[in-house]
Amino acid sequence: MSLLRREEWQHFVRDVDWAFSYVDDEAVYPEWHSGTGKVPREAWLKWEEDYKVTYPEYVATQREKESAAYAVKAALQRSSSFDTLDEGWKSSTKMHFGGIALVEYAAMLGELKMARFGLNGAWRNMATFGQLDELRHSQITTFFGHEFVGKDPQYDWTQKTFHTNCWVPISLRNLFDGMMIAPNVVDLAIELPFTFETGFTNLQFVALSADALQSGDVNFANMISSIQTDEARHSQQGGPTLEILVEHDPVRAQWVIEKSFWGSARAFAALTGPAMDYYTPLEHRKQSYREFMEEWIIDQYIRTIQDYGLKKPWFWDEFMRGLDTWHHALHMGLWFWRPTIWWRPKAGVSKDEREWLREKYPNWEGVYGDKWDVIIDNINANNVEATLPETLPWLCNMCHLPACNPTQSRDGSWRVRDWSLKYDGKTHHFCTNACRQIWWKDRDNVNHETVIDRFLAGQIQPMDVSGILGYMGLTPDVMGDDPDYAAWTKDYVGRSATGLALAPAESEES
Amino acid sequence: MTVPAKKPRPRRTFSAFGDVRRMPSEYEVMTHAQNWTTRSNRLAAFEQNPSSPANLWFLTYRENSPLQAEDWEQFRDPDSLTYRAYVSMQADAEAKTGGVLEEYAEAEADRALLPGQLALLRCLYTPSRYLVHGCQQIEAYVGYMAPTSYITNAAGFAAADFLRRVTLTAYRTRELQLAHPDSGIGESERRIWETDGSWQPARRAIEKALIAYDWGEAFTALNLVLAPTLDDVLIRQFREVSRDNGDQLSWLLASFLQADSDRRNRWSAALVSFCVEQQPGNEEALRRWIRRWTPIADEAAAGLGGLLQTRPERGHDASQVAAGARAAREAFHARVFEGLR
Repeated sequence: MSLLRREEWQHFVRDVDWAFSYVDDEAVYPEWHSGTGKVPREAWLKWEEDYKVTYPEYVATQREKESAAYAVKAALQRSSSFDTLDEGWKSSTKMHFGGIALVEYAAMLGELKMARFGLNGAWRNMATFGQLDELRHSQITTFFGHEFVGKDPQYDWTQKTFHTNCWVPISLRNLFDGMMIAPNVVDLAIELPFTFETGFTNLQFVALSADALQSGDVNFANMISSIQTDEARHSQQGGPTLEILVEHDPVRAQWVIEKSFWGSARAFAALTGPAMDYYTPLEHRKQSYREFMEEWIIDQYIRTIQDYGLKKPWFWDEFMRGLDTWHHALHMGLWFWRPTIWWRPKAGVSKDEREWLREKYPNWEGVYGDKWDVIIDNINANNVEATLPETLPWLCNMCHLPACNPTQSRDGSWRVRDWSLKYDGKTHHFCTNACRQIWWKDRDNVNHETVIDRFLAGQIQPMDVSGILGYMGLTPDVMGDDPDYAAWTKDYVGRSATGLALAPAESEES
Repeated sequence: MTVPAKKPRPRRTFSAFGDVRRMPSEYEVMTHAQNWTTRSNRLAAFEQNPSSPANLWFLTYRENSPLQAEDWEQFRDPDSLTYRAYVSMQADAEAKTGGVLEEYAEAEADRALLPGQLALLRCLYTPSRYLVHGCQQIEAYVGYMAPTSYITNAAGFAAADFLRRVTLTAYRTRELQLAHPDSGIGESERRIWETDGSWQPARRAIEKALIAYDWGEAFTALNLVLAPTLDDVLIRQFREVSRDNGDQLSWLLASFLQADSDRRNRWSAALVSFCVEQQPGNEEALRRWIRRWTPIADEAAAGLGGLLQTRPERGHDASQVAAGARAAREAFHARVFEGLR
């Protein structure tokens, strides 16, 4: 005799809602936490997850996964594989550990919120598994990153990043607070499990897992592919929620999708774009960032939202054009402001690498080549000093990333534009038209200070680069620098140089 | 500006632990300061307008809670539970549960239940999944709002434990329904939970606790008052009554669940000690909430005690049930607060 099949009894686990008598339903599920909006309360009775799981199944499966992931780690710990990894690849992992570990924890908080405020018992149960999954991801990522702190202090930022006011985590907190921890659970289920987990995390996890194997980092590939196996389960909360919202309030569904898609696209251009197109050694690159976006986001995600009866986002053309510029501009920004980040960004613009970039992005040379040439020539003239920052870039009031996106004018020239907006006596500046529009619609939540606003208001002292680095929590042992200037400048040694910065004494005279 | 030379001495662990002599444990490495909304020097919990609804909620119910501590990151779960340890432990526990369920199914034990015991299972045991789901929600809220990841994780595991209990109750509901199709089991639970007089004080308690939004009050209401009281009725005393009425399976299954309640009690007690050590004023806040929730819990226990008295062939006196639950809670509180003196 064996146990009863799950289908025989699971409806009892799912059927745990009741009608309150001693308190108001609105008090238990307040609108801004539960977010039913125009959807009638009873419509949520129909909520049903596609992927069913029970508690005993969950703990048994997860125990196996955990043993496997940690066994691989233990086996590799004895090898010297870490020491032989390319610096560019190591930078991708530092960025990942620092940029992701605590985001997994933020997702745990989001799942706990859905486990409390979700509008259907089955949904709350799924979220109870979801919070365990996200805890798993934060713990395994933190633990794997911790292993390397003795070898390289930049791995300290695995835990530290999001406790600082570095501009990168400010931008990411702004995004993830808004889509994972703070929103009502209906929006949250569409933003986190649906847009983020069925869409964008594929970029970081699938792409990076392939790159990790190519780069010989089996340990890292092991970790992230094990994490990815959990997504299918808890990301199921998005679909049923979206289905109900689309039926009763398609306008809101469209807006929630658009807002979270745009924010995610901006963040991943900063995080995944440089890792894929610049840090991963040329011989190990499988696809460009653009190609990967086309395959995983543009085709799959858009097909998915259209299946739910939604439209392509209104900013689609701006987004598509950005695939050729955003991450290249952000890469240049990350490299130039390298003392403000916790990894060693490699420029990745040797002749061969440029050839690859030109092939993948036909406009690359025209938009970015001349800027890199100025940097290259200054480095070859032994003037690294001239390539280090003296001030801050203008940050977008919506995504908090540098406003550095060039677009093409009618005369063919490329210029970085400022999208500004006057509101409440202040002029706000945005990196893109969509950032401006999203800010306007969501202004009650997102109207707050960028690092630039804080700097100009005198909150950062002293008002110079040392004050900025202190405010951002960067210590000298962690500040990023290029790991190997010669690697990408030696191809150009001896050519006639233009645009050299003058030595400080001469520039004062001129 | 220049990029200064690298510092020579290698780190042993995260700088968040300070200059520690002792290497932090695996539990501490994985748990410490994981929640960025609790970072020091924050203007508000969220990187948003300080007066956004989410920031105001956290300001009201977490930052301005009567429970205050100098440094919440110093709290430790006495079980040092990590995700890996949790799923491993519970997979073992569930394998044991599954084995027992199979054995008793093989023996067709449900067919041999005394009519009174079956009535008790119908009126008390199977409808309890609604109550326990409410506990699961409140524990999830405690985790969502807690001021440190050390508390959030413990609450997250406890919420999952409640789901474990709901799951087992659901499984048993189906088994009993199959063995006794005319008993009403599997059909009448919600009606009993919503209308049966014996359940109403417990339902009132959990509904009220769902809207106790100060995180400290939610923790106190559930982990210090309602759960210790009602677990005593629904786990310990139910187990004893089941044993006295020949229902060995219920007796065994309830004893398996006791481990989860004991673990929750351990970290809850440790959290009380921690709060009071951090700030003496916390004791009064906790005691005030305990006073508020005690009569609610006692009424709930008394209501359910009626079922333990009247349904089974060999019942326990209702007033004894209520007194036993009160005594169990008071003994727990004595242990919790005694450790402080």
